Amino acid sequence: MVPPVQTVSALRLLLAARFPERARRPCGGVSAAVRSIDDALGGGLPAGRLTELVSAVPSGGGQTVVAKLLEATQAARQRMALIDGADGFAPEAVPAGVLRHLVWVRCRAPEQAFAAADILVRDGNYAAVVLDLRGCAERALRRTPSSVWYRLQRAAEGGSVAVLVQTTSPLVPAVPWRLVLDTPLSLADAGAPREAVADRLDVRTERSHAQATESMAG
Amino acid sequence: MNYAVLVVPDFALHALRRSNPGLCGRAVALVAGDGRKARVAEASPEARGVAPGLAATLAMSRCPGIILRQRDPGAEVEAHRVLLAAAFTLSPRVESTRGGCCTVDLQGADPARTEPLMRLLAVELAGAGLPVRVGAGATPLLASYAARCAEPVLVVRDPGDFLAPLPLAFADPGPGQEDILTGWGIGTLGGLTAIPKAEVGRRLGAEGALLWERAAGETTRVLRLVEPARSFSAEWAYEPPVESIEPLFFKLRRFAERIALELRGAGFVAEKLSLTLLLEDETDHRREFRLPEPGADVEGWLRVLNSHLGTVRTDARVAGVRLVAAPARPQEKQDGLFDTGLRDPASFWENIARIAAIVGDDRVGTPAPVDTHRPDAFVLERTAEAVAPQAGAPVHPPCGPTLRRFRPPWPVRVVCDAGSPALLEGGRLEGRVRAALGPWRSAGDWWKPQAWAFETWQVELAGGGVYQLACADGAWRVEGMLD
Repeated sequence: MVPPVQTVSALRLLLAARFPERARRPCGGVSAAVRSIDDALGGGLPAGRLTELVSAVPSGGGQTVVAKLLEATQAARQRMALIDGADGFAPEAVPAGVLRHLVWVRCRAPEQAFAAADILVRDGNYAAVVLDLRGCAERALRRTPSSVWYRLQRAAEGGSVAVLVQTTSPLVPAVPWRLVLDTPLSLADAGAPREAVADRLDVRTERSHAQATESMAG
Repeated sequence: MNYAVLVVPDFALHALRRSNPGLCGRAVALVAGDGRKARVAEASPEARGVAPGLAATLAMSRCPGIILRQRDPGAEVEAHRVLLAAAFTLSPRVESTRGGCCTVDLQGADPARTEPLMRLLAVELAGAGLPVRVGAGATPLLASYAARCAEPVLVVRDPGDFLAPLPLAFADPGPGQEDILTGWGIGTLGGLTAIPKAEVGRRLGAEGALLWERAAGETTRVLRLVEPARSFSAEWAYEPPVESIEPLFFKLRRFAERIALELRGAGFVAEKLSLTLLLEDETDHRREFRLPEPGADVEGWLRVLNSHLGTVRTDARVAGVRLVAAPARPQEKQDGLFDTGLRDPASFWENIARIAAIVGDDRVGTPAPVDTHRPDAFVLERTAEAVAPQAGAPVHPPCGPTLRRFRPPWPVRVVCDAGSPALLEGGRLEGRVRAALGPWRSAGDWWKPQAWAFETWQVELAGGGVYQLACADGAWRVEGMLD
């Protein structure tokens, strides 16, 4: 007879012991080509998992992350999808040569973005899917039922796609990794090479559920 | 085999059931006549104890819960078009013999290819709600006999062996002829053809000789050919109008099955689907879906339509639906030996089409630059199947944070100090400007009515955030954020 668990931590330990495969870090991933993000995630965006990147301040560098991810996936000859919730992607802001592997979905409403994400995450042809919800109405996003997120997480777990969700405030419930960009870029960065701008990005790990489970499991 | 006959037993009943989702799997009977004179004309297998000719009242007492319906001419026309479309996939020479029956001229067709095709067709039509029987033989008559005995496909290779055990009724004897022949002890076609034709003709006259020819399966005729479909469309009016997606989707599935068959028969595939919902308030909702991969895959079409219908909200009930497919020749190509293509091309194109149905055809694809300096100029192209290696380092490596656009740009009032922006106010973005870079002036298309000229600035606000401003004819707007 298992004694009743008293705390959430104890429950997590119990679950980690009972279902070790759930706590295991996913193998493989997609390098974001941004050092601080790759370091925080242990090598890159994990495949089969959702990663939330919160741009907590204006000009936090979220779009530079998208640009670098485009370069990285093109270099690896992988396919990437960008589900653009508020239609903010500017193709002229990245070299034309790194656009040919991109499928860009220009949404008009968050519902369209979620519907497109649900389809693309299950597709199997993409290495990375970016769901960019920055610029969407906050109220509409808050109204999104948590079941939508759980469904998306279950869909991602079934495949090998790395899903990056871009938001302006923490939104995804029970997300395995939540990183926060809270250091704004300045006009002084305007003349710097993009590599240098990407290296300047500083991320704070707000949530790393899988790592926490691992450490607790011993 | 020179001819094939496709026949659907109890055609009127199957046509009715395939047009009405509520009748599937239920005990149903078609009745002819009104009131007490109403009699069962056709009954579904679920209607136990009910047979054609039974009075409607008796049918109801023998099979409680049976649904009695009159024939539905509209459903029969639609079902017959499906049958014809299926026949055209076998040969371009098709006769519409009667409702639920058509005859195909197979002369010149490859028997080794045709027979498997007929079996596939029987399975496909059964899935579409029309359990067809296909018979093939040297003459149209022989093929029709074979169709009556088929389960579901029968090819007559030896007419003598096939015809011999068949009952005399197959040859459709006249009222007096059957009695005479029964009196002679003849009950099968083989028994009749065992007597020389001349002897039968001498005793029963010209009618008897014709009966002998029918019994031998020798009677032939010229087929009255029909033209294959030239437009690939289907339409239905709902009475009463519908409010939910299910009856709509059910009908669209039936339409898609028929149109896909018609396209296949004509050697086409669909490159575009056009859906029109006719609303009760006499308005309509139209939508066109460009299929990324032209094809005749019914399930793929339905996923596209379903993705769109899931997002549609109309002000009035749907009184009718129309589906039109734009035909195109199928693409034929060979992939390169070293192409790193898609893992699953079918699902890739299908999913692109589903997303296009949600966001619009013009809002999904691969962006490509346009040969202009006009801001925010790009086109969305069809995504390449293979990811090509990078050509080399760009001539002008990107610098600075990446622009994220606000579409449409935000209007803003800008107060300038010494010619440079100093304060933003009166818009979604306000604040003192801490630093500004610019201006960059660009202009183009001056020889066209759409001439443009902009002055662009990059500003950092005191409260944080780097933004790109543009000024045209004194009107300022925030184009986006450098992020």
